[in-house]
Amino acid sequence: MTTWIQSLQERVGNGREFHFDSGRFIRENITKSWLFTLWLIILTYLTLAYTISQFRSLPFTTGVLVLAWLLTVSLTVYNEITRSHNTLTLWLRNNLYSSITNTLLSLLLVLAIVAAVWGFIDYAFLRASFTRVPEEAQAILAQFDSPGANWGAVLDNMRNLMVFRYPKEDSWRLWFVILYMGALLAASTFVFSQERFRRHRIRQALTGIWLATPVLTFMLLLGVKPVPGRTVDFLIRLLAVLAGLVALFFLSRGLLKRFPSLIVSFLVTVLWAAAAVTAVYLLRGTLVAGLNPDIAWGGLLLTLIIAVFAIVASFPLGVLLALGRRSQIRGIPPWLTYSTAAVFTAYYLYTNTLPAFAAATTIVQQLFSLWPLLFLVIAYLFQKYFKGNVVALFCTFYIEGIRGVPLITVLFMSIILFPILLPKGMEILSTWRVMAAAALFAAAYLAENVRGGLQSIPKGQYEAADAIGLNTFQKYRLIILPQAIRTVIPAIVGQFIGLFKDTTLIAIVGLVELLGVANLISAQTDWLGVRREPYIFLMLIYFTGSWVMATSSRRLEKRMGVGER
Amino acid sequence: MAELSPTPPKGQESIPFWRDGRVIGVLAQIAFVVMVVLGTAWLLNNVNDNIGALGSFRCADGTESFRCGFNFLSIDAQFDISESIIRYEPSDSYARALLVGALNTLKVTVLGVILATILGTLAGIARLSTNWLVSNMAKWYVDFFRNTPLLLQLFFIYFGVILLFPAIKDAIQPFGLPIFLSQRGINMPGPVFMPSFSIWMAFLVLGIIQAQVTWLFLGRREEQTGKSSNRGLWAFLSFVLVAVLGWYVAGGTANSQGIMVTNATRVREFGDIETLVLSRLPVSDLGDIDTAVADGSLSTEALTTASLQICAVKDAPSEVNFTSQLRRAGIPFVVNRTDRLNQATEAYVAGDCEVLVAPQAALASERSTLENGANHSVIAIAETPVRISVPRIEGLNFIGGIKLTPSFAAILIGLVLYTGAFIAEIVRAGIQSVAKGQTEAARALGLSESQRLRLVVLPQAMRVIIPPLTSQYLNLAKNSSLAIAVGFADLWAIAYTTLNQSGRSVQVFMIVMAAYLTLSLSISFMLNWYNRRIALVER
Repeated sequence: MTTWIQSLQERVGNGREFHFDSGRFIRENITKSWLFTLWLIILTYLTLAYTISQFRSLPFTTGVLVLAWLLTVSLTVYNEITRSHNTLTLWLRNNLYSSITNTLLSLLLVLAIVAAVWGFIDYAFLRASFTRVPEEAQAILAQFDSPGANWGAVLDNMRNLMVFRYPKEDSWRLWFVILYMGALLAASTFVFSQERFRRHRIRQALTGIWLATPVLTFMLLLGVKPVPGRTVDFLIRLLAVLAGLVALFFLSRGLLKRFPSLIVSFLVTVLWAAAAVTAVYLLRGTLVAGLNPDIAWGGLLLTLIIAVFAIVASFPLGVLLALGRRSQIRGIPPWLTYSTAAVFTAYYLYTNTLPAFAAATTIVQQLFSLWPLLFLVIAYLFQKYFKGNVVALFCTFYIEGIRGVPLITVLFMSIILFPILLPKGMEILSTWRVMAAAALFAAAYLAENVRGGLQSIPKGQYEAADAIGLNTFQKYRLIILPQAIRTVIPAIVGQFIGLFKDTTLIAIVGLVELLGVANLISAQTDWLGVRREPYIFLMLIYFTGSWVMATSSRRLEKRMGVGER
Repeated sequence: MAELSPTPPKGQESIPFWRDGRVIGVLAQIAFVVMVVLGTAWLLNNVNDNIGALGSFRCADGTESFRCGFNFLSIDAQFDISESIIRYEPSDSYARALLVGALNTLKVTVLGVILATILGTLAGIARLSTNWLVSNMAKWYVDFFRNTPLLLQLFFIYFGVILLFPAIKDAIQPFGLPIFLSQRGINMPGPVFMPSFSIWMAFLVLGIIQAQVTWLFLGRREEQTGKSSNRGLWAFLSFVLVAVLGWYVAGGTANSQGIMVTNATRVREFGDIETLVLSRLPVSDLGDIDTAVADGSLSTEALTTASLQICAVKDAPSEVNFTSQLRRAGIPFVVNRTDRLNQATEAYVAGDCEVLVAPQAALASERSTLENGANHSVIAIAETPVRISVPRIEGLNFIGGIKLTPSFAAILIGLVLYTGAFIAEIVRAGIQSVAKGQTEAARALGLSESQRLRLVVLPQAMRVIIPPLTSQYLNLAKNSSLAIAVGFADLWAIAYTTLNQSGRSVQVFMIVMAAYLTLSLSISFMLNWYNRRIALVER
């Protein structure tokens, strides 16, 4: 064996020297270990069996592929022996034909991938129907033994998938929101990327607009409009409110500049709160929601509303929970805890345990009647693990409790249990309930991510902030949180992607979002039983959405230099 | 002399109490507690108002009490559950129904965790493969499954794949394996454990100890002599030796299985069955049956009547043990299955069959109930610790093997594929986190590839892998609650039915939350314990 390879090498190499050791080749590629040899034998058998079976079903394609494989393999081997690789064979050698097992595996996988891709194209395009007329679609699909996709179901239901029952006469609101968001995004991308706008008015104004956007969009989508017949009244009041707010803005700025003290800033805050209350009071009764979200919202619109609301609302809540869980405020002192617990214990021991203990017939009942002693145990555990810190206790219980149960139970709880928790006669629409549940659920997970970021901040940062005289609020706002949140951006975006995917679960609790619409399509008389096609379309939407989020997160990370400092 | 000790500025002797952190902390917390207590009291008050109207906390004597809220658990559930590990009937209580659900959740979780770990590890390693196609395929698998919602995948698998499988008579057999994909779900071969399995199990434990001893002994000798011996192979061989020995000992000594026949059949041992069946057939050798049927000299009806007629209890191991021996001997047979042993005995007495298959002890007691027990004899049948039961289509049903119902198959496949994608990324990141220098150092020391992986790379990768893996297992356990979407009766699905039927929403939610919290906490407790064991010991 060695000799013919050597003679080949001498013949093709024009006298150059070669070092091909066939013994070493066999040792490395075939007889490395008995397990490896076994794997090689199995792989060879599998490849042969699969190739033969593919020859039966797709003779032409398989023939071409096997020929191409044989050709490239022999070319690569020849170039390898003669050490005269070109770019292609070098790539093939490194990536596909680096060993005998890899060579076989490559053939097997190429055949499998081509078969799978061909099968999909066949299903999705060649044997598919694209007409929106159900009768025509049936006629087209009836030509084939195994009919392909019926895309007409998706095309015919495109409006349902996007907005479901959103009234046609209100469509302008959606277009307006889309255009507004597009313009805002374009403007802020430009402004925020330019260094010269760093401390510019425009940038501050844009930030203000961004803060107002959720409320405005929300009101638009809800179809909010002036009460019929009071339009003029509403406009006057709106103008008055806007004028008042502008006046207040300048007044508070002037005040803060003239008297920069804690008391004045507190006063200004109170003023703003009062202004907000007054504005709501003034505008109350002049506006009315034109749409019922339980009916009007659906499809992709509802998916996006819930996802965005949960993301936006869970953020402040999650940060607060994370701070609360790590709060270092001095806890309730042990003497207070124990004495309170002792009072409770004594009270219940006297009123509850004494009669129950006397009435108990078995030792188990006697033991159970001693339950008030648990107060003392709880007090001890509270002091031991939370150092008397009630805030940390509450936040920890909330976070761990939510994280320990599935989202679906939380959603059902919002649908079934929420009405029981409210006073009699008070009702909240299920859309609001589900949105609240999604936000409360997401907050617990977000809190854990933020906590991770907080833990990564060195102690020196806290001490430095204290040393330069910042108060607690300033310390967290200016020093700690910007660093902490920057480090956990990848985790937070990952969680938002998860939240976006989890919105599908609200289809189970009865709201008709994207997946709910897809399920409804198969029940339409026109498209009875068409299920795969809407699902494939949905997968495309979700995949694109997640992919966009993941990509932009990676860009954001790079820009903010995560992991580089 | 000037004043040496200046008087401290006024007002600095002590901090006023409203600026004292300790006081503020306690006051703020007391305010917090008061708020939380008031809020909870408000909610509880509302609950009391609303629930009072529903009456779900009412005791038998008409008073309202928290304790009586759970009395409904002992009421009959009156709904059927399609699959269950333990015996369940609609006349059982709600408590038992919920237990069935909890066990089903546990079943999905345990199987899912095992399979997802295997799939994820393979995909994670494939992601690092030197083969461009392999690593890219793994990448696409991971990207696709991570970026689409699990519920959508479950719906697609259930409605778009499994429910569109062909009817039972056209069941798909991938690659000609004895696995059947049909509308009934997935049927595949599975082990059937005979009573002697416990004896074999003891031998297996012995074999593991033996392998350990061999491993240690050879290791010590390697250290002393400096010569390497193939100790992995020897330890494995010694284990196989003990296992094989145990197989024959357990099977040979076992004497639990039997058949009952009438004395008139003249069957005294297993070998006589062949003579009995041959006497009713126009052929002289069992091997000729096929040719006889093919050339038409023996009709299929005649073959069926001449076959050995067996009565057995449905899904009983005894039947699998007996029929697999008949099949090996080439004896044709027909099985008549009943739900209970006494029904089988009745069929046997009525003459529907000539052989009754059951454990010997059960047969003996059945014989004593017969009028003329002396006319029947019980014959011992050989057994092996484990029999492989292969599914077969008989009529409109699958007989034998393991059955995965469409719902269970959908939720299991969906969870495994989805979680596997996440685990693959964790495994890849874990392996890549081991510094390249470690691999080079291991090679420089002359370790073999397997030694390098086992002794250098894996222990270090595991430290990175375990914490995120824990949260993936937790996610899998929680995601199993999506089973309700594909109609699998897991804890949440049954709790939801219970809730709708009994109206005890508060109580049911408390039970469900407690159950899921327990599951989550026990998973994280186990993995945290393992993590502490393998964690880096820092000095």
